[in-house]
Amino acid sequence: MSNETLIIQTGLSERPRKSRLPARLDFLQSASGLFLALFMWGHMFFVASILLGKDSMWMITKFFEGYYVFGGKAYPWLVSIVVAVVAAVFVLHAMLAVRKFPINYSQFKLYRAHAKSMQHGDTTMWMWQVYTGFAMFFLASAHLYQMMVWPQDIGPFGSGGRMWVDGLWPFYLVLLLLVEFHGGIGLYRLAVKWCWPNCSREFLKKLKWAITAFFLILGFATLAAYMKVGYDYQENYKNGEHYTPTWAQQAREGAK
Amino acid sequence: MSNVQKNTASGGQTRQRMLTFHILRYNPKDPDSKPHMQSYQLEEAEGMTLFLALSEIREHQDPTLQYDFVCRAGICGSCSMLINGRPGLACRTLTKDMGADITLAPLPVFELIGDLSVNTGKWMRGMSERLETWVHTKEEEVNLSKAETRMDPELAEKIYELDRCVECGSCVAACGTAQMRKDFVGAVGMNKMARFKLDPRDERTDEDFYELVGDDSGVFGCMSLLGCHDVCPKELPLQTQIAFLRRKMVTIGS
Amino acid sequence: MKVIFTDVLVIGGGLAGLRMGIGAKRRGHEVIVLSLVPPKRSHSAAAQGGMQASLANVIKGQGDSEDVHFEDTVRGSDWGADQEVARMFVNTAPKAARELAAWGLPWSRVTPGDRQVIINSQKVTITEREEARGLIAQRDFGGTKKWRTCYVADGTGHAMLYTASDRAICEGVEVHERAEAIALIHDGKRCYGAVVRDLITGELRAYLAKATAIATGGAGKLYRVTTNAVICEGIGHAIALETGIAGLGNMEAVQFHPTGIVPLGILVTEGCRGDGGLLRDVDGHRFMPDYEPEKKELASRDVVSRRMEEHIRKGKGVKSRFGEHLWLDITLLGRHHIEHNLREVKEICESFLGIDPAEKWIPVRPAQHYTMGGVRTNHTGESPHLKGLFAAGEAACWDMHGFNRLGGNSVAETVVAGMIVGEFIADFCDKPENTVAMPMGLVEEFVEREEAKLQALLNSKGSENAFKLNVEMQEIMIRSVGIFRNGDALKEGVEHLQKLLERSRNIGLTSKAPGVNPELVAAYRTQKMLKLALTVAYGALQRTESRGAHFREDYPHRDDQQWLKRTLSFWRDENATLPELQYETLDVMKMELPPGWRGYGAKDYIDHPDTAKRLGEIEEIKKRMESKDRFAVQEALMPFRDKLPGELRGLNERIDEPLNG
Repeated sequence: MSNETLIIQTGLSERPRKSRLPARLDFLQSASGLFLALFMWGHMFFVASILLGKDSMWMITKFFEGYYVFGGKAYPWLVSIVVAVVAAVFVLHAMLAVRKFPINYSQFKLYRAHAKSMQHGDTTMWMWQVYTGFAMFFLASAHLYQMMVWPQDIGPFGSGGRMWVDGLWPFYLVLLLLVEFHGGIGLYRLAVKWCWPNCSREFLKKLKWAITAFFLILGFATLAAYMKVGYDYQENYKNGEHYTPTWAQQAREGAK
Repeated sequence: MSNVQKNTASGGQTRQRMLTFHILRYNPKDPDSKPHMQSYQLEEAEGMTLFLALSEIREHQDPTLQYDFVCRAGICGSCSMLINGRPGLACRTLTKDMGADITLAPLPVFELIGDLSVNTGKWMRGMSERLETWVHTKEEEVNLSKAETRMDPELAEKIYELDRCVECGSCVAACGTAQMRKDFVGAVGMNKMARFKLDPRDERTDEDFYELVGDDSGVFGCMSLLGCHDVCPKELPLQTQIAFLRRKMVTIGS
Repeated sequence: MKVIFTDVLVIGGGLAGLRMGIGAKRRGHEVIVLSLVPPKRSHSAAAQGGMQASLANVIKGQGDSEDVHFEDTVRGSDWGADQEVARMFVNTAPKAARELAAWGLPWSRVTPGDRQVIINSQKVTITEREEARGLIAQRDFGGTKKWRTCYVADGTGHAMLYTASDRAICEGVEVHERAEAIALIHDGKRCYGAVVRDLITGELRAYLAKATAIATGGAGKLYRVTTNAVICEGIGHAIALETGIAGLGNMEAVQFHPTGIVPLGILVTEGCRGDGGLLRDVDGHRFMPDYEPEKKELASRDVVSRRMEEHIRKGKGVKSRFGEHLWLDITLLGRHHIEHNLREVKEICESFLGIDPAEKWIPVRPAQHYTMGGVRTNHTGESPHLKGLFAAGEAACWDMHGFNRLGGNSVAETVVAGMIVGEFIADFCDKPENTVAMPMGLVEEFVEREEAKLQALLNSKGSENAFKLNVEMQEIMIRSVGIFRNGDALKEGVEHLQKLLERSRNIGLTSKAPGVNPELVAAYRTQKMLKLALTVAYGALQRTESRGAHFREDYPHRDDQQWLKRTLSFWRDENATLPELQYETLDVMKMELPPGWRGYGAKDYIDHPDTAKRLGEIEEIKKRMESKDRFAVQEALMPFRDKLPGELRGLNERIDEPLNG
């Protein structure tokens, strides 16, 4: 036992210095949130590559598997590592965020009544933050687990097949909405909280809705594109085939 | 003379609206009393504020109605209540800006005294004691014969800008965190910390301020929902002050 | 019976009460402050203009000193003030301002260099000195020769009250909020504390103390229209009066302000008229030039108020649901001017009237503004009649205001008297002979008596309604004891009030709700207020002269020969319907500034026979001491310094008057 602990334990310390932990936790909650939000932007652009064609999506996938680093060999476990890191941040963020959640029903009831009475945008938005955050405990966890364990299934056929053949498109639709609302509100809240880059909530709110709208449209289009790929190539998926990029197909056909 | 006509025409000869006040009634001192809504009808008058309306109701309809007014001029902060669901100063609220049905309820978070009267004073005193909302100097006695210490005029103005708080409790009642955490200092407390941080006469360091607000009942409990900022009757710059304090306190904690 | 013991019991949590409490506490005495409301909500917060203290920092204040402040104050009082007390006050005011600065009050400060101001409707450029940089700034105010009013933007009172209240918390001064003293406990010679009603639970408690101090502010609510807060009902005055021992001084001296908005009585600044605003009547006619062809709207406060009331009496008022009023027209100043120079007025009009003053006229009527009278005290703040009872601030007749208070002197008095009386209270408590055994039998008697009174009200089958009686009283006071007074109206008013007082003994309640019971509060306060109203009305009836704010149409001259004296009212018999009046003569031969023309207002007055003699004496002293400094001359004219507590006797440093050593 440290000397300090002993002194505090006996109640003798005149004025124990206040813990620095709350400051760090507060900062970490913001930082982890920012990381996840920025990651989700990137993620959205990566998955949206399907809109440019299956080849583009394939290239992005392979890029993350180290294909271009290791001279044409892909290692899906590299993706697992990325996913693991994101999952760790996700869990950290969830743990930090849950500190702010209502801890019992009566608190929840109080807050809900308060929001209803106030009719105040920011107050109501926080309820959505709680709801979406709560739902993501489950949905995002499931998705992260799947990506971590079966990274090799990411690809035009694998991803498309999951949507269409496995019927997971409603899952991803809901997850998309959750992520975009939670992330959008979260980023807006961050800016308001730290007064950066700007303090004007009017401006920030407009920006937030613009960003959310952009990503939702992009997200819906992407989801539709995967569903179409899943529908068009359902047999390939069922056969466990992986997508071969056009140039490789041409090369193969040329070889024939 | 058109001005005369305009003024006299609005001077009370036209027929007035009938207002209905729905007031949350409860007397905790009375064992038979249960929280309930009670309605009162009152004819609107030119320039009627909620202060005048409630006074009329008490004097002519229901002498048991409890509420708090002191200055009735928007400067003392006594009369904050939930007006149609949002905290605001009743004395400064004109009935003509509202519909014919007006709902009034006491501020949440604070201890209820009865009907619309809540004990903001006790809460505020507790906050002041906890945050030590006074200038801390090492000098014991000032020589009062000597000229005062100089201060930058602009800084004095900035301090006054934050000093304008009237401790009405609207910010606390509008705060999501305060609904759930009864020990939360609220925007009123954080604004005061920002005010004393600004004041060169206060010798406290950032570390000292951290001791007062560096936890989840202080600045780190704030979720930046800014109900406080939006209902503050003095329009204090609460958003920037809280952000300022948060940044300083995070720096201390790192 | 719940009993609470302390050394000092302060009744009232405004500036005066808090400052007294801080003073006594710093000297090592236990203090409890009772406050009807949280102290920061006290009416002190409403003093927006500023606090007079002769710091002489700004260029327009150059040459200001205690001497100039003293003369302004005495002239303002129409020679009703106690000149020694006025001297104590002006010497302490700079110290009070500086103490508040050290405690964190954000006084507005001087910026050196040129700036534009408006003086007599003319744009003037003035240049502040470099030496004054960052020192406390002063602004101009009515009735003062120099710019002397220290201010905090537009919220001086608020900022002062918060600074003092937070200082009280820092010093550990205990405050019992929502507690109302309803009777003083005394044995006919000495005060032992008060019977106090808890305004949350409704229970009675006894507070026992070596010294009891009243600092409950003014009694504006005796009048239907007042700028005062709703808590300014004069209950502190009334409980002193009800002892039957302590006397109230100069209750007939009541100040009115010309432009309170109707119906609320909230003040709109004199600046409206200063900048060219006009007063109009029901026909839209500008009536002031008919009465005051020279000064028109810009005659002095009391004169304008009088003319406005006179015009309303002639039937030229505008009738509204909230009584009659006149119009203040500032539309002619233009939107730009209003939005830049009269922002506060604009905000008040928008918030409380819902009108845009650039387009519409503002309904105004003179409103009761300040209670010069109060619990009579000697220079230490102690009642000369009841030992152990002190008073300070607006509730006291310490008597630095006489018959008219200067703007900026009210908020200054609160902190100055708080400092001075706080020290004297500590001295009082320090003396071993003032530690007395509490007569517990007597205490019990007092609590039981008050309990019985409240029970009687609760059980009464009486037919009178407290709210209605109160309104009736307020209307009589405005009508008969207002700005214009005359024998007939006063006589009728007194009789009417007497009837009301009798009727108030037959108040019945509709509710017996436990807790504070607002109807019960209205009932017992109305009974007390009626007695107080009678001291005002009866004092005014008896005073057959005009002095300061007390104006008698039938006796329009100031009469120093007959009336250079202070009215004292007592209420010795509980069943009486009139106070007993006594008079305390002011000694011209001891005055530093003998009566004369105020420099404004009426020039004709009836001289006191001693005035000429005293003027001769003063002339001679001044001649004899020509080579001496102003302090020595003053000392020879009227010594006062030894009356101050030791630590407050020092001189005051100024840019042009550096301290030696």
